[in-house]
Amino acid sequence: MRQNRPALLWARLQESPFFWLMPAAAFLLVFYTYPLLDVIRLSFTDAKLIGGDYAYTLRSYSRLFRDPATLRSLQVTLIFAIGSVVLKLTLGMLLALGLDAAVKRGLKGMVAVRTSILAAWVIPGVIVGVIWKLLLSTSSYGMLNYWIESAYGTSIPFLSEPQMALMTAILANVWRGVAFTMIILYAGLQKIPAELYEAAVIDGAGAFARFRHITVPMLVPVIFIALVLMTISGVNTFDLIVALTGGGPARSTEVIALSVYQQVFKFMNLGRGSAVAVLLLAINLGMTLIYLFLLRLNRDRN
Amino acid sequence: MTEATTYVGRRSTRLAGNFGLYAGFAVAVALSLFPIVAVLMLSMKQRHEVFAWPPAFLPEAFNLSTYVYVLTQTPLSRMLWNSFYLTAWTVVGCLLVSAPAAYAFSRMRFPGHRTILLILLVYQMISSLVIAIPLYRYFEMLGLLDSHLGVILVYITVEIPFTVWLLKGFFDAIPVSLDEAARIDGASRLQVLRLVILPLAKPGLAAAMIFNVISAWSQFIVPFILLQRTELLPISIGVLNFAPGQTEGEVTIPYLAAASIMAMLPAIIMFIILQRFIVQALTGGAVKG
Repeated sequence: MRQNRPALLWARLQESPFFWLMPAAAFLLVFYTYPLLDVIRLSFTDAKLIGGDYAYTLRSYSRLFRDPATLRSLQVTLIFAIGSVVLKLTLGMLLALGLDAAVKRGLKGMVAVRTSILAAWVIPGVIVGVIWKLLLSTSSYGMLNYWIESAYGTSIPFLSEPQMALMTAILANVWRGVAFTMIILYAGLQKIPAELYEAAVIDGAGAFARFRHITVPMLVPVIFIALVLMTISGVNTFDLIVALTGGGPARSTEVIALSVYQQVFKFMNLGRGSAVAVLLLAINLGMTLIYLFLLRLNRDRN
Repeated sequence: MTEATTYVGRRSTRLAGNFGLYAGFAVAVALSLFPIVAVLMLSMKQRHEVFAWPPAFLPEAFNLSTYVYVLTQTPLSRMLWNSFYLTAWTVVGCLLVSAPAAYAFSRMRFPGHRTILLILLVYQMISSLVIAIPLYRYFEMLGLLDSHLGVILVYITVEIPFTVWLLKGFFDAIPVSLDEAARIDGASRLQVLRLVILPLAKPGLAAAMIFNVISAWSQFIVPFILLQRTELLPISIGVLNFAPGQTEGEVTIPYLAAASIMAMLPAIIMFIILQRFIVQALTGGAVKG
C-alpha cells in the first residue's frame, strides 16, 4: 500500500491543469509578461541604458507627441503599412483568383508556380533587404538600374532619394509577403460552395458579376482577417528596413520599431525609448482587438 | 451547325483563358524568382566583373570560388552552424513545453481557460522588440547577455503562443473517446498524451516543427539586441557583417551575395521538400485564426 503512494500522488498531480501549463507558463511569465510590464514601468522613468539612478516622470510621454521625429516615424509607419497592405491585397487577390481558376481548369504546373511565389516568404526578412539593396544599387553591379538606364537614359535613385526609398521599402515588403496573402485568400476561395457559381451561371451572370456578387461577399471575412494580420506585420517590420535602408536617407524610412531601437540602443535613452515601445505596443493591442472582434463576428455568422 | 460553332467558340475562349493564366503566372514567377537568381549570379562574379561596365547578368564563368572563400576564410560557416544550433534547440524546447499546455487547453476545463488562450493570441501579435528592451537589462545583470542560452530561452518563449494554438487545433480534432478508452484501461493522462494523442497528432507536430524552424531561422530582433560577439551571431545577423564597409569599398559585394544565398538556402530547400505540407497547414490554420 505504502509503495503506491508516490504513484498515487503522481496520478493526482496529472489531474491538475497547473501541472500541464506550468512549463509554458514559466517561460511566458519570466520572459514575456514580466518584461512587458517592466517596459511600461520604464516608460514612466528617465532611465538610461547604461544604468544609474533614475526617477519616475511623465516627461517621456509629454515629449512623445511633441517630438516631430516620433510623429514623423508614425507617419512613415502608416504609409509603409497601408501601402504594403493595399498592394499585397490587390496582387494577392489576383494571384489567388488566377491560381483558383487554373487549378479548377486542371492546368499543369501550378504546384511549381505556387512554390516559386512562396519561396520569397521563407527567406529571412533581413536577407530580403540585402538582396533588394544589391539589385537596386546605382553602382555598376546594380543590374536593374543598368537596364533602366539603357532604356530611359537615366537611373532611378531607388534607395538614395527619401520618398523613393519608402516606396522601395514597400515594394520589397510586398515582394516578400504577397505569397502569404495569396495563400490565405486562396484557402478562403476553396470554402465558397461551387453550387453558388453554378446557379449564377444558369441565371446568366457573367464572370465579373459572379466575382462582384458571390466571391467578394463570401470572401469578406477572410479579407478582413488578412487585412488585420498584414497591418500588424507591416507595423512591426524591422529586419527588412534595417538591411535595406537602415532607416535613411534622412530618416525617410525610419519606421516606429526602428525609432524604438535607435532611442534605446543608440541614444541610450531607456525611458524615452520605452515610451515609444509602449506606443508600438498600444498599436499592436488595438489591432489585435479588431482581429478578435472580427473572429467573433465570423463565428457568429457561421 | 449552331451547336458546332458554340462548341468551337467556347473552346477557343477557354484556350485563350488558359493562355492568359499561363502568361500571368509567367510574369509572377519571373518577378518572384528574379531577385534570387540575380543575387545568385552576382555571387559567382569575380572582382573585376563587379566593376565592369556595362554589367552582364551572367557571370563570365560559373565558379564557386567566392563560396569556398566565404566558407573557409570568414566566420560564415560558424554563423550557419550557430543558426542551426539555435534553431534546433528552439524547436525541441518549444515543442516540449507547448505540447503539454496544448493538451490542457484541449482536454481540460479550468477557470481562465478562454482568457489565457486569448492572452496567448495577443502575445503572438506583439513585436518582440517591446520585450527585448527590458530583457537586455536583465540578461546583462544575469550574465545571459551575449550567450546562446539566453537567446534560445527567448526564442522558445516567443514561439510558444503560436505553437500552443496550432497544436491545440490538431489535438481538438482527435476524438476524446480514444482518451477515455485508454483511461479506462488504466493509462494515466501523461500516458494518454504520449501513447494516444501525440502519435495521432504527428502531422500537427510536424507542422509546428516546420513553422518553428522557419521563424527561428529568420529571427532578427532578439539576436540583434542580445548578441554581440561575432562568433555567436546567427547568419541572419552575421550577413550584415558582409556589407561593404568604408575601407574595402565594393570589392566584397560577391561575398555579401554569396553569404545571402547561403543564409536563404537551408530555408528554401526545406520549403521545397515540405511545401505541400506547409501549404496545407497554412490554409487549414490561417482562416481559423
